[in-house]
Formats: sequence, C-alpha cells, structure tokens
Amino acid sequence: MDEKIAVNIRHLTKIYKGSTEPAVDDLNLQIYKGEFYGLLGPNGAGKTTTISIISSLIKPTKGEVFIDGYDLMKDLPAIKRIIGVVPQEIALYEKLTAFENLYYFGRLYGINKSDLHRRIDFLLERLGLVKYKFTKLINCSGGIKRRINLIAGMIHLPKILILDEPVVGIDVQSRNLIKEFLKELNKDNTTIIYTSHIMEDAEKLCSRLSILDYGKLVEQGAPNELINKNSDCSSLEDVFLKLTGQSLRD
Amino acid sequence: MKKLFASVYKEGLLLLRDIEGVLVMFIMPLILLIVIALLQHKSFQNITEEKIQVIVVDFDRDELSRSLSEGMTNSHMFEITSVSGNDSTLLEQARKDVAGGTYQIGIFIPPNTTSVVKSRAVSLVQQQINSAIKTDLNNLNAQGQIDLFFDPITKESFRDLVKSTLMQFSASVEKRIIFEAYSKFIDALTNQSSELDYPTTPAIQFNESLVSEYTSGIVPNSVQHNVPAWILFGMFLICIPIAGNIIKERSEGSLARLKAIPVTYLQIMSGKLIVFVGICLIQALLMILVGIFIMPFLNLPKLQVGGNIVALFSISLASALAATGYGILIGSAATTQIQASAFGSVSTVIIAAIGGAWVPVMIMPAIMQKISAFSPMNWGIHGYYEVFLRNADTLEILPDLGKLIMFAVICVGASLLFRKYAKNV
Ligand SMILES: Nc1ncnc2c1ncn2[C@@H]1O[C@H](COP(=O)(O)OP(=O)(O)OP(=O)(O)O)[C@@H](O)[C@H]1O
Ligand SMILES: [Mg+2]
Repeated sequence: MDEKIAVNIRHLTKIYKGSTEPAVDDLNLQIYKGEFYGLLGPNGAGKTTTISIISSLIKPTKGEVFIDGYDLMKDLPAIKRIIGVVPQEIALYEKLTAFENLYYFGRLYGINKSDLHRRIDFLLERLGLVKYKFTKLINCSGGIKRRINLIAGMIHLPKILILDEPVVGIDVQSRNLIKEFLKELNKDNTTIIYTSHIMEDAEKLCSRLSILDYGKLVEQGAPNELINKNSDCSSLEDVFLKLTGQSLRD
Repeated sequence: MKKLFASVYKEGLLLLRDIEGVLVMFIMPLILLIVIALLQHKSFQNITEEKIQVIVVDFDRDELSRSLSEGMTNSHMFEITSVSGNDSTLLEQARKDVAGGTYQIGIFIPPNTTSVVKSRAVSLVQQQINSAIKTDLNNLNAQGQIDLFFDPITKESFRDLVKSTLMQFSASVEKRIIFEAYSKFIDALTNQSSELDYPTTPAIQFNESLVSEYTSGIVPNSVQHNVPAWILFGMFLICIPIAGNIIKERSEGSLARLKAIPVTYLQIMSGKLIVFVGICLIQALLMILVGIFIMPFLNLPKLQVGGNIVALFSISLASALAATGYGILIGSAATTQIQASAFGSVSTVIIAAIGGAWVPVMIMPAIMQKISAFSPMNWGIHGYYEVFLRNADTLEILPDLGKLIMFAVICVGASLLFRKYAKNV
C-alpha cells in the first residue's frame, strides 16, 4: 500500500436498489495526501454517490475503498476519525444556534470542552461568523448556513476533508471566503476532495481533478495537463464540454 | 458517555426550543384524562354502586305491595319511590316518568292484589285439608296481575333480570301467605296459637365472590382507572414527536453527518430515549397530581396512589421506556413524517383500545381480555392498578415491568436493524 495515497478507490460500483443502471461504474481513483482534488461531472454523474460511499453513508455494490490505508469495510471507526464530511445539503439543526450545533458535533468527536470552545471561536472568527454565534440557524441566511455547515464538517480537524458542492447557492463574497479558507486548510496539509459544477473554481483550486460521466471516469489529471492535452480547448470548461458532450442530463 | 451527554444536551435544547409542542404534548392527554374521567364516572358507578330507579304505583296498599317494596329495597339493587292511592292520574304520571328516563322501571300493583292472593291461598289450604269442604273454584284459579313498564332504552337482558327478581319476591310473598293460611287453619284445628313466624331468611344462602384476575375484589372507580389509562396513552402518544424528531434529523441530513462521525446509532437514540423518558415521567407525575388535587374539585373521587413510591416509579419508568422505544421504532422504520404520524396515532389508539384504556379490561368480553394481554398499555395499566389498588410492591409487579422493558428492548433493537438495512439502498 502506497504511503502517499489518502484515498484509494478500486473497482467501485454502485447500483441503487430498483435501478438497472449503475450510478458509479467500476471507478478507480487514487487521491494523494495533501492534494486539492476535484470531482467534476454533469448532474447525475455519480459524484454524491461516490462521496456517500467514502463517508460510509451507503454501501457499495462492488469494489473496495481504502482511506489512509484503512479498509472502509473493516476499519470504519478509525476512518471516521480521519475524514470530515461536508454534505451537499445544510445538515444542521435549524432550532439550535451556530454555537450549539458546532458544540454538539465537536463533543461527539470527543473534543474536550475548553479546546472546543477555543476552536469554535477561532473558526467562527475565521469565517466571519462571530456575530452569528448565538443566532438560531433558522434565522441565518443561506451563505451563513453554508459556512457553519463547513465548520461542522471539520471541527475535529480531519486529515481528509470531503465536501459536496460547498459553494452552491451563495453569493460571491461567501464563496471567496470559503475558497480562501479551503486553500489555507490545504496548505496546512489537509487533503481536500470536493465536487463542484463551477469549472473556473476547479481550474484555480485543484491540484488534480477527475471528470466523471454516467458513473465512469472520463478523464483525470492536473487542470493544466487536461487543457494542454486537448489543444482545441482554452479552459477547463471547454475540456469538460468536449468530454461530456453538450446534451442535457436528467 | 461524553457522547451520550452531548446527545441528551442537544435533544433537551431541541425540545425546549419547541416549547409549544411540549405543552401540547402535556396538556392534551391531561384534558383527555379529565374529560373521560367525568364522562365515565356514571358508568363506573353503574359497575360499582349505582342503583336502579324504580317507581311503585301502589293501589293495593296491602301486604303484597309492602313486602315487594321491602324486598326490593333490601336487595340494594333498587332505589324505590312509592306512590299510593287509587287515582289513575298517578299511574299516568308514573308512565311518563319512566318514558322520560327518571325511572328505569315502573311497577303497577292494582287494587286488591293482596286479597286475590290471600283468598286463593285460603281456598288452597281448605281444599287440601278437607276436600269435602266446598271451595270456591273461582278463588282457586284467580290470578293477580302486576304491570311492569320499562324505560325504552333498557336492554332485554336487564328486563328479564328484573322480571325474574320480581317474580322471586312475589313468589316468596305468596309462599308466606300460604304458610300463614296453613298456620291459621291448624291453630283453629288444635285450638292453640303457634308462635312460629315464617322465617325471613332463605334456606339456602348464596356466597358470591369475583374471580376475575383484574378486580381482586376491588373495582376501580373512574379516577383510579382513567389516571393510569391516560398516563399510558399520553406516553405512547409521544411516539409521534419522537418519530418526527428522528425523521426530521434524517431528512434534513443531520443524520448523514452523524453517520460520518464516530458515534453509533444506538448512542444517538439513547440520547433521545433519555430525554423523552424524562418527558413521559413528568407527564405521569402531572396526571397523578391532577388525580389527587383536581379530580376532587370536579366531584370525582380523589386518586389513591397506594403506598409504594418505588413501585410507582418503577412502573412509570418501565412504561415510559416502552413508549419511547416504540416511538424510536416508528421513527426509524417510517420514511415520511406523514407516514409516521398517521401510523403513530392510529396504532396508539389501537394499542390503547385493546389495552383497556377506553374500556377497562374487566368489563371486556372474554376473548378481548385474552387479546388485551398482548398490549403494552395493558401491562402498564395493570401495573398501575396493582400499585394503586393493592399497594403492590416492585416485586409483585415484576411481570409487568419485565414485559414493558422487553418491549422497549425489542423496539430499539428493531430500529437498529432497520437503520442497518437502510444502508443497502
Ligand atoms: N437514493 C437513490 N436511489 C436511486 N437512485 C439514486 C439515488 N441517489 C442517486 N441516484 C441516481 O444515481 C445517479 C448518480 O447520482 P448522484 O447524486 O451521485 O449524482 P451527482 O453527480 O452528485 O449529481 P449532481 O451534480 O446533480 O449532484 C443519478 O442517476 C441518480 O438519479
Ligand atoms: Mg450531487
């Protein structure tokens, strides 16, 4: 097993019950430690499904996943301490305040109280949320919820942070703040795996990325590599359209 | 342990933030308790002490009517109101009162009924002693007639019961009159007067006792029944908010997040279990307080809680665990809120009905009593009965406690299986 691999996905296949088409189809991916890795693909490509399997939310139909050398099927508790997951939807308690939400998740990770208080304050400050510490989420805007959602997924400072469309549906200011924050985390040695539909972002942020379509890996590499490889393309968006076609997905 | 505390803290906060919901959860069953206790007060009195109202229109004003009234009064079944005279408007009025429900039964004893019985007895005796004496055959075949009229809502079985009771009274009066006629005749023959009166007590006494498992000689009154019944009902109704809480957590994605955290489903559910068991216990306490302090103000009997606080707490805790476990199962198995609240409310009503919350088990038909033994609410109510009515201690209600706790364990176990299975989408 390669020491440098953070996530190793081998022959991963997922066919949902009642469905005949695989959502993920014999996927092989190696994501290295310290990478800022993008999972791109049109709607329904299988990005969320892949992430859900990695974060042990659903079981794969076939294949193996190793995270930091641990087998997903056997060493789940160890894996849960290494990874942090930021789901696509705002997975928080609306009736609790920002602090209460973060405190709850932090305590579930076993972080001691004083550390947790300090960490929450630091992260709220870093993401411009100090004012909202004691605001119930139900009274917060979408951008604020996204940021709290992000903190909740990394309150335990995971080695590997997995984000599903972390910047969807928010304004440019919030988006930039989140992107800056993720870049910083990545600099501090957190492996980041994220999905996005925004090619411009991916082009700037990712050290490497893969393009999925119909559950299959279509292309993989550094953004520049992919653009250079396709001489008729001048941006990642061009490459994406060329590889996945112009047709609409359902 | 840390994780459990964190879960309890979170669930507690969530509940406090939904204070209106909590109040509704507390108040609705309390209202139900009071309303049903008032409604059923009469019915329970019927089972226990309520007498049948009877009006006797006495135109006979003689021995028969007197003895009948006396006998009926002594039976403790009837409350007798007598009117006598020979004015037919009295009879008219009595009929109206029975039709209007003031009395359930009216009895009309026409004039000379006693003398008809008497002369028949005398003729009978004469005939018997000396067939040579010419008796008046008309006297022998004469028959008195007593009219009975019933409130139309009385059941046929009830009417039959009353008829046979009255027949028994009139037969004993007739017997005594015959006995006296013989006595007189023999006195006349022997020329001395006997001191012997016809005995007022029957030759055979019936010794009765209730053998139903439920009464143990004590029939609960409306309050003693309804407090445990609605404690259990209120507890099980909590399955709806619990299930709602679980489904919301799942549909809003928090559960997905929790799955990526090193915490087990059991730990998360235990947090809920502890908080909602607490709610159930507070509710039980409120119900008991209402039984003790509010019921007497409503002219209902005061709740007697028995003397064993430990047993009372045990049965409350076990019932709360069973009810909360049931809620967790529904929340884990149902896929939508609507599904959970529809199933939760209807199943609670069914469990309550067969468990004897609405209609106490002791007056259910035998077959339903058997089915009732499978309802967790029945175990809980039975446990409370034992503690309230028989001063039972914890050891004596162990079977009920055991069944309730088993039920809770099975529910939580099944929830874990459901969630495990749910990963295989
Ligand atoms: N729970 C489910 N049951 C059945 N099919 C599902 C389920 N979830 C997703 N799918 C199907 O699996 C395929 C992949 O879905 P997935 O959500 O992984 O795509 P995605 O790449 O995340 O798309 P998007 O960009 O829209 O988020 C789709 O065809 C989708 O309809
Ligand atoms: Mg998705």
